[in-house]
Amino acid sequence: MADQLSLYVDRASPLHRLNPLTKLVLSFSLVLIGFLGPGYWLPTILFVGILIPLSFWGNIGNEFLQRAVRLILPLVLFLFVMQSLFYPGGRTVLVRIWIISLKLESIQFAYLTATRILNMVGAFLLLLLSTHPSTLMTDLTRRGLPPALTYILVSTLQIIPQMRNKANTIIDAQRSRGLETQGSVWARIGALFPLVGPLVFGSLVDVEERAIAIEARAFKAKRVKTSLREVPDSTLQRQVRWGLGLLTLVLIGIGLWR
Amino acid sequence: MAIVTLDQVTYRYPHTPQPALRNLSLEVNEGEFVAVIGANGAGKSTLCYTITGFVPHFFRGEMSGEVTVAGLATRQQTLDELMLVAGLVFQNPSNQISGAKFTVYEEIAFGLENLGVPPAEMRPRIDRVMALTGITAFADRSPYALSGGQQQRVALASILVMEPKVLVLDEPTSQLDPIGSREVFETIRAMSKQGMTVIMAEHKLEWVATFADRVIALADGGIILNGPPAEVLTSPLLNEHHIGQTRYTAVARLAQTAQLWPVAKPLPVTLDDAEAGFRTVLGAG
Repeated sequence: MADQLSLYVDRASPLHRLNPLTKLVLSFSLVLIGFLGPGYWLPTILFVGILIPLSFWGNIGNEFLQRAVRLILPLVLFLFVMQSLFYPGGRTVLVRIWIISLKLESIQFAYLTATRILNMVGAFLLLLLSTHPSTLMTDLTRRGLPPALTYILVSTLQIIPQMRNKANTIIDAQRSRGLETQGSVWARIGALFPLVGPLVFGSLVDVEERAIAIEARAFKAKRVKTSLREVPDSTLQRQVRWGLGLLTLVLIGIGLWR
Repeated sequence: MAIVTLDQVTYRYPHTPQPALRNLSLEVNEGEFVAVIGANGAGKSTLCYTITGFVPHFFRGEMSGEVTVAGLATRQQTLDELMLVAGLVFQNPSNQISGAKFTVYEEIAFGLENLGVPPAEMRPRIDRVMALTGITAFADRSPYALSGGQQQRVALASILVMEPKVLVLDEPTSQLDPIGSREVFETIRAMSKQGMTVIMAEHKLEWVATFADRVIALADGGIILNGPPAEVLTSPLLNEHHIGQTRYTAVARLAQTAQLWPVAKPLPVTLDDAEAGFRTVLGAG
């Protein structure tokens, strides 16, 4: 079972070496431009023309496409079908089956919504696949993100799989005592309490112990924290970030103005 | 010279009627290895938390008396200042992993990062404690992918890297198998031999007898015995307070009942003592 929820794929690539904030700004820019920028084809262009090439530049093209297909495609297809069939507006009827009519406008709307979501998830997938969570958090903490918030974000990635392991142990323990955890809906609901109780109370105890453990490591020390991980940055990347921010504002402006 | 001093300490956890420590006074000298034994609920963990300042800073509650560690009065200091002089390792290995780091190497660096130690200074310190605790081979692995014994050594290394003057361990092997326990005990013994002051609450009396310079037995929040292992671990008071005895002492007591072991002969607490004693009493050499 995985020890953590991180999607990170370790590769030696220029994309991996970019400062995490640069990638974060790029991701947010792509999402905002995709949703608010001008043009019907813009999200498609962003995904095909920027995200896919960047994933191959980062030697994670296969992982990116596999994850994109597995994670996003079912959702996007579902959305496409639902939006196409039940979009309230539109006049240009293409096909009519009984009371359901397929209109050109509904297909266009469904396509735009689906590609926007594809672009959004793809942008963050690229960030997560090419950026180690620890590097991202180290950089954000250095830039002023509160350490407590960083701790919550990073520890969640690791502690959730530990809780999942614990839940499986509790399920096995309760089954060995004859608890029915499979079968009808009512049997499953009935089994929920003996499973959730020990997990919740056990987790509360764990939280106290973990609090002591991080206090014992001077987590609350009122000193300027340092980091073992050195995260490189450059003037060029700073300029790129500002440029991306400006471009995003301009494209959003054009999109809203039109 | 005393590095840890408790003077008439009484402590009660919030919302509990009975104190967990009662009028407890104790001195631990620099470089000494002191084992604290006692039945469950005797106050061992509370004593560990008190020495490291978690009582009263973390647990709150009512406390009277004075605790001094390396010249610092714990009640007047903040926890992070106290962590520089007294490090705490406790029972559950996985709960001592911070969850904030993805490799063992980074996990050990966590405390140093919080203390603001420059990275160039961190690396030699981390390398040193990893070698000392025998976990160098796990540097790039996730702390969660290790066995209990290995995780406990990571927890130990994470505290040792902060270079505390006193190492306090609260039943560090209670959740480990025999191999994991041995790994942890050997590491603690190595630290002790290097001159570190060690205070360890522990149930495994055979290990206590082997490693400790002095043993303190607690019952109902107070000290009932305080002295060399051979003296404390053979006291009849231990059985009265459900603390037990080492298997070597138990066998010798049986031999005593059978009039094989002279009443005047001290009871053994270690395997070596027992072997030598039985050779003598059985006339085998």
